[in-house]
Amino acid sequence: MFVTSLKKLGLLKFTNSFQLSILSILIISIALIFLASISLGSFNFSLEEIFNSSSSSLDRIVLLEIRIPRVLLSAFVGASLGLSGASLQGLFRNPLADPGLIGVSAGAALGASLIIVLGSGYLPDFIFGTLILPISAIIGASLVISLLYIFTQGFGYQGITYMLLVGIAVNAFASVGIGILTYISTDSELRGLTFWTMGSFGGASWQLILPALLIIIVTMFWMIPSSRKLDLLQLGEPEAYRLGVDVRKLKFKVIISSAITVGISVSLSGMIGFVGLVVPHLVRLLGGVNHSYLLPGSAFLGACLMMTADLLSRVLIQPAELPVGLITSAIGAPFFLWLIFRIRKT
Amino acid sequence: MSIDIRNLSWEVGNKSIIENISLTINRGEIITILGPNGAGKSSFLRLISGDLKGSKGEIFFDESNLDEISIQDRSFMRSVMSQSQEIVYDFSVKEIIEMGWIERGISTYSGDFEEAVNRISLDCSVNDLLEQSFNTLSGGEKRRVHFARTLVQLWRPSGSDDPRYMFLDEPTANLDILHEQKMMKLIQKKRDEGIGILLILHDLNLAAKYSDKIAIFKNGHLISIGTPQEVLTEETLTDVYDVSMKIDENPFRINYY
Repeated sequence: MFVTSLKKLGLLKFTNSFQLSILSILIISIALIFLASISLGSFNFSLEEIFNSSSSSLDRIVLLEIRIPRVLLSAFVGASLGLSGASLQGLFRNPLADPGLIGVSAGAALGASLIIVLGSGYLPDFIFGTLILPISAIIGASLVISLLYIFTQGFGYQGITYMLLVGIAVNAFASVGIGILTYISTDSELRGLTFWTMGSFGGASWQLILPALLIIIVTMFWMIPSSRKLDLLQLGEPEAYRLGVDVRKLKFKVIISSAITVGISVSLSGMIGFVGLVVPHLVRLLGGVNHSYLLPGSAFLGACLMMTADLLSRVLIQPAELPVGLITSAIGAPFFLWLIFRIRKT
Repeated sequence: MSIDIRNLSWEVGNKSIIENISLTINRGEIITILGPNGAGKSSFLRLISGDLKGSKGEIFFDESNLDEISIQDRSFMRSVMSQSQEIVYDFSVKEIIEMGWIERGISTYSGDFEEAVNRISLDCSVNDLLEQSFNTLSGGEKRRVHFARTLVQLWRPSGSDDPRYMFLDEPTANLDILHEQKMMKLIQKKRDEGIGILLILHDLNLAAKYSDKIAIFKNGHLISIGTPQEVLTEETLTDVYDVSMKIDENPFRINYY
């Protein structure tokens, strides 16, 4: 029924029934992996315990205050990275595009590193409290976007290559900043910094993630209706324009929404590589390349994969924990090589 | 009802690409632009499509200034086919053709749309290719698919009398003789349905056979405009192309080698 009403609204006009069944399977998988993720870990809960309010209070605190926010955060970060990867690959018409590529992740990372290393010493806690780190990361991501905006003359510049080159320069600049911060940091700061650059969902708390989830959801609903325009853009910018797409507006929308979701994700969970790159390719292999299927599909699969990666990071070397970024990169890097190999062959 | 181009000029830096061109494209008329490389034909097409903004002059679509027509409305009035770029992802032929669908309001014409796509595919002889991957097609087949997409963009449910125009930049490039003839006949059929058509061609005889009017460009100037017999004279052509030409009157034919 939900699908029929969406079809009536014209949102799924160009999604075929095979693709709709893949999307449905992905939604069911999200629910199943979510249940598995909240029940397994250094504390194990049976499903009965989860739905039964009579379990001990310590268990409930672990479940409600630590486990559930953490799993939710991983799902939303996965969905953000998947969705922004898919829309950036569409925008740049380049299968190797990724939020990391245009420098957004690096900008957010630099903002967060600044707070980790310098913040503790100079900023009293009461100003922003725990929100200072995400805010700083979002400012970092926004600065990168503004730089891109200035250098590409309001995203109006015709060639997309130019923007990628600016992204490379921004990435290099951010690495220098993070390098300097690493050099001057104390032992404990260095530990925080290192763990953070490898990615983790360990710091999730309701206070941090609720506003983030809200912003991410709103941004996704803003982005997904542009899927048809991203399809038309594949014909080339002039063709898309002639088919009625305001290309400049579309670029603005894709880049801003990626900046917001990626900035928030990086600030809450550190640098998690390759998800934005790999997920859209898997979704394409499963069912097709049109964006009305690809965008929601990438968000769903991103959520599935990220929850699974986080689950692995918690159970592989119990009771210790692996940084989740290591797991995604370990899987993603070989995939990336395979992708380059495949592209070269065709 | 027509497109009126008045005193259009366009410069890049100090170099003048289009200089003071005035031209009218009427509904139900095929007008072909001829001229050597670098004459400004494609730039002219990009200017009237609205891709570029001229430095002087005005363009009116049925008395509305092009500058004041929204990007969405422009796509509803005219379709454009030019030398297309490579498509990175693996779309099917049908998906590419359906990209000609212009959303106006919500699913206004959804009922007949499927049928229209099938009929247009048949007209362009791409109906057997619909489920194939676009990237596996030959150059000529790709061209026909893009032409089908251009036609879908102008498709309306029966009874509609919206003004519509089509700008085609070398539509027959890469086509074999059979499909070249088929496409030109289809273009004539569209003209008879009341669509105003602007063509850019290189084949002088093809232009002479199928055009109602011919405009000759050289160095950004409009040299001559009129019916094929009026415009395609030995003196004009020899002067414009720097190649000596000979014209047979009956049947009308231009010989240059």
